[in-house]
Amino acid sequence: MVIVLNPKGFKLPRVEKEKFTLLIRLGLDYNREQCLYSIKNFNNIEKVIDTIASILNTEVVFSQTCIRCGKNFPCSECKYNDLCATKDQPFSCVCPQCLRDRKLFEEYLEKL
Amino acid sequence: MEKYRPKKIEDIVGNEEAKATFIEWLKSKRKTKKAVLLYGSPGVGKTALVNAAAKEFGFTIIEMNASDTRSEKAVNEIAKPATSYLALDTFTAESKGNLLFLDEVDGIAGNEDRGGVSAIIDIVEKSRVPVIMAANDPEVDKLRPLKKVCLLIRFHQIRLPLIITLLQKICLLEHVKADFEALEHIAQNSKGDVRSAINDLQSLGEENHVLTLQDTMALAPRNKDIRMDETLRGFFSAKSVDEASSLLFRSSVDYDEFIMSVSDNLPRRYTNPDELAVAYDYVSQADLFRGRIGTEYWHLLKYFFNDLSKAAAVAPESYKPFEFISPPIRIISLFWTKGKRTMLNGICGKIGAQCHVSISKAKHEFVPFIKIMLQKQKSSALISWLELTPEEVDFLVKMNRY
Repeated sequence: MVIVLNPKGFKLPRVEKEKFTLLIRLGLDYNREQCLYSIKNFNNIEKVIDTIASILNTEVVFSQTCIRCGKNFPCSECKYNDLCATKDQPFSCVCPQCLRDRKLFEEYLEKL
Repeated sequence: MEKYRPKKIEDIVGNEEAKATFIEWLKSKRKTKKAVLLYGSPGVGKTALVNAAAKEFGFTIIEMNASDTRSEKAVNEIAKPATSYLALDTFTAESKGNLLFLDEVDGIAGNEDRGGVSAIIDIVEKSRVPVIMAANDPEVDKLRPLKKVCLLIRFHQIRLPLIITLLQKICLLEHVKADFEALEHIAQNSKGDVRSAINDLQSLGEENHVLTLQDTMALAPRNKDIRMDETLRGFFSAKSVDEASSLLFRSSVDYDEFIMSVSDNLPRRYTNPDELAVAYDYVSQADLFRGRIGTEYWHLLKYFFNDLSKAAAVAPESYKPFEFISPPIRIISLFWTKGKRTMLNGICGKIGAQCHVSISKAKHEFVPFIKIMLQKQKSSALISWLELTPEEVDFLVKMNRY
């Protein structure tokens, strides 16, 4: 099973002190009020993903945010997934619907 | 290409997180790190981001790139004054003063750039203005001390959908009617390099205002990893110096191994002794340049390629396909004799330890005589004194050459 997390805010089960320190050191931020983690620094993103996967004991990916419509979607929905050299990260891309739809594209250009 | 160079930060495609981190750092008044190192493969928008951000926030860029000498003296002459004092226009509303930008810092190398890295570190520590650096490969050893004083921001390759979006936008603005599949092919061919994707679109779109998948099929593949056998085949069948040279520029073979392979295969390529002699002359000249290049003087690589390519095009009309010798004979022979060489070195080590000489001296000055002594009489005193095993004695007696 693959869990898709939103990089702007996601919850994790309670972790021991060492793991929490490691996550923060790797570039995560923790909002105590909302109990939400978010990604602050993307340089060690592979290590972040590995650590979260070991905490959740399952494969983890972060969702992508479409730069045109703002929708969140996982890389697995994209038809270029196999060709992509930067699979699952960084977290901004264009969703498959926006890419094919010319009308949506023209609307997006008007907004710019 | 110049027309679509990003002028604003939002014009830069992809790497949203990297852009946000960079802008946050540039805008912050109390920076935790005085310098920033942007790293990632070429054509992902590092330089474009610096230029666009400087323009947008009113900084004046003082730039030193790979075409400048970046020795300690040069860095101190140019960068130090620019970073030590605040510019007068800093106090005006429009300008925020200087910004030092060192592009391609991973290219600082050789005698010309001696002391450059330590001078940059010194400048970063004392600088009163933001210092920005860009590198393609941050894992270069000499950048290690530099990385410690910098905030590192990684740039990923630009994804296909983002490149396609940009190409669609350009086509719309340039009134080019392009098939989605054509743009998809250009984007795939660019391998994440936006600059090359725009260049390809420009070269295809200039000729006609309708672009189909068929039109894009003629594009030369970029960054293709051409292996040794493919390079050899293309090299020997080249019809001109230019063809062989462009193949060498695209290939990623090891140059030392390649020149040995060329040397081994030349007699199979040229059956005419005169042509063969001319070709070997060119190979020897190329080998001279390879020696001069060493690990530093890569600007001489074009001369190496040129001489080697001349060897391929001595008589293009006489080419007939043949079976290549690969890997080079020298490497194969080193592989086959590795066991023997290890055994001989072990024996020479024992001789060296007893006779207080080096392994090399033992090999050249002692082994021939010990071999004769052992052949005449398997002297037990000598064997026990040198502590040789029966296998080592047998090896020395039967050894033809060392």
